[in-house]
Amino acid sequence: MSLAVLVLSGLVAASIFSSLLSFRIGAPLLLVFLGVGLLAGEDGLGGITFNDAGTAYLVASTALAVVLFDSGFHTSIKSVRLAALPALSMATLGVVVTAAVVAVPAHYLLSLSWTEGLLLGAIVASTDAAAVFFLLRVGGITVRDRVRSVLEIESGSNDPMAIFLTVVLVHFLADRSIHTGFGLFVILELAREFGLGLLGGAAGGALIVQAVNRLGIERSLLPIAALSLALMVYAATTLVGGSGFLAVYIAGLVAGNSRLVAPDTLRRFQDGALWLAQIAMFLTLGLLATPSEFPPLILSALAIAAVLILVARPLAAWVALLPFRMKSNETAFISWVGLRGAVSILLALLPIMSGLEQGRLLFNITFLVVMVSLAVQGWTIRPVARWLGQIVPRRLGPVQRMELEVPGARHELVSYRIVADALVARGHRMPRWAEPSLVVRDGRSLLAHAAGVLRPGDTVYLFAKPERVPHLDRLFASSAPAAEGDHRFFGDFPIDPMARMGELTLMYGLPVPDEAADVTVAQYLEWMLGAPPGIGDRIGIGEVELIVRALTPEDTIAEIGLAAEPTRIDTPRLPLFPNGREVRQKIKRWLRR
Amino acid sequence: MEIADLITPTAVIPNLRATSKKQALQDLAKRAAELTGLHERAVFDVLLERERLGTTGVGNGIAIPHGKLPSLERLHGLFARCERPINFESIDEQPVDLIFLLLAPESAGADHLKALARVSRLLRDKGVCEKLRGTDNGDALYALLTESPASRAA
Repeated sequence: MSLAVLVLSGLVAASIFSSLLSFRIGAPLLLVFLGVGLLAGEDGLGGITFNDAGTAYLVASTALAVVLFDSGFHTSIKSVRLAALPALSMATLGVVVTAAVVAVPAHYLLSLSWTEGLLLGAIVASTDAAAVFFLLRVGGITVRDRVRSVLEIESGSNDPMAIFLTVVLVHFLADRSIHTGFGLFVILELAREFGLGLLGGAAGGALIVQAVNRLGIERSLLPIAALSLALMVYAATTLVGGSGFLAVYIAGLVAGNSRLVAPDTLRRFQDGALWLAQIAMFLTLGLLATPSEFPPLILSALAIAAVLILVARPLAAWVALLPFRMKSNETAFISWVGLRGAVSILLALLPIMSGLEQGRLLFNITFLVVMVSLAVQGWTIRPVARWLGQIVPRRLGPVQRMELEVPGARHELVSYRIVADALVARGHRMPRWAEPSLVVRDGRSLLAHAAGVLRPGDTVYLFAKPERVPHLDRLFASSAPAAEGDHRFFGDFPIDPMARMGELTLMYGLPVPDEAADVTVAQYLEWMLGAPPGIGDRIGIGEVELIVRALTPEDTIAEIGLAAEPTRIDTPRLPLFPNGREVRQKIKRWLRR
Repeated sequence: MEIADLITPTAVIPNLRATSKKQALQDLAKRAAELTGLHERAVFDVLLERERLGTTGVGNGIAIPHGKLPSLERLHGLFARCERPINFESIDEQPVDLIFLLLAPESAGADHLKALARVSRLLRDKGVCEKLRGTDNGDALYALLTESPASRAA
């Protein structure tokens, strides 16, 4: 027994330590976890034999529920507003298109039947929430709001669709007796699963919020209570025939966007739980695989991965996003960030568990495809994002900040360590609402008036409303002069959002209709964008570009930049992915000729 | 459009002694008036009007105030290096010590923008700014400003 504990904890520890290596060489972390599992497995150094697909499925699906709860928890309602429809289109239509396209090489290369090919397609059709979240957030880059929101919500919500398709196809292959009325059966099944999933999730989320806020549970137990309730929502919804994964994602979304008594405590614990769940998932699946079966499949797996990455995903993204006014570069980036991960391997367990003849083959191919996807896309996400103009440059240098929630107060306690070149250290005055409560200098605690002028090395404690923290950051950040490219991204000249378009037009001779003269620049920009504004969004007027530099907490435009020449950030990098409107215009032009 | 088309050696002020944004703009307007024969007050008003749309302190210690005047015949540039950095209400709240003033005729729509783009591209270059900060010799400043991009790269 102790041996089992030693082995398990050792594996988790090994995974965590290998993450150091991952940061050093930049290898996609999740691939490293998978690698640790493989290395410990029957064909690796560890020689652990683990062939129980049922147990692996149980562990990995529970972990997936934790991951999805966390994805929902961290997805802001703002992202949902910004991207719900395109993301849902990707999560449903996109999944079907991906599955259908992947079926083609699967049929021809692996001599699978069309249904089996479609099954493989469905298995690899869902993007991995954990992988996408990890790469978009922890990767140290800020991806533009709209695209990030679409990707995050898609990755959280496409698992249920892929799972559904997989289950239906496995069902169909395992028991061919249900031919009559199969179509109707599928549709009813879909409606029930998703209906119950939505319902269970909304109810469960509300329940979690009430439990956390009302019951007065000991603070350190709160996150555990929330997580166990989330797992109950998952399991209970599954038991009554709904989609548990959809339910737990929705529950996370509801809980994460509600007012909670200890949001930071919950968030911090969630982060830890997410890591553990990911490690558990990838380790287990890595352990289960038998790499000695891989070599004969490598070429076909590479081909299928190539079709998935270069054809299926771009086509799915393009088709699913046609009705939305996405820019070519946005669709291109969404196509590229179709990371496959643990979910696909998890789904590949289902054919094995149902005793399908091709189960082992499907599992091995899926495993290889996931490794290729994690490696290729995981490694290239940054340069590709930059190339497609999807990265918002950082406008501040690093800040040494700590935040502490104050129970029952609308303020929080913020502490900053003062760096030598911060504005405050060079005599910039503090705003009146940001009076330091305490200054720690050379290990001594001083009241603000005793401390006098702030010096580098001081640590300052002050109370501030959370929405004012960004303003404080500006005062305490070490000055990182904007790089040349960043300056280009935001435009050179700040423009007052409340200025009238008429004045701007007069100043720069812009082709703007007269009736827009009395509109403010912010209103005009919002109107021309036609969608909720995101930082970095831009419109061209004649030779100049107006750019959204910053948003207010209410998501209206707070700062605007003007570039005196086109920045070309949104110029399509690939001659692909026209949106529906552009396609219509092209057809019209073509017909007129 | 080259910087040399915008400024002459006499339009370079190697040591502007202003202590505030307003004073700097006033001094620059005065100098511009001398160079162009315009009214000092007219230039100053146009610059202030532009500042109301948003500060022209673009960050990193640089300001590019500009405006259009009906009675001007061609584009006029004016460069000043401040003796002491001044608060210009810049976007990054850093004090300003390099100012490029640009005045355009009322009719110069596209040229005005081209010149602005050219100036901001020049002053985005950290190397150039460093060199401009490193000398208070008018001729040297003029040479640095009008060096062609090709020779700078070499």
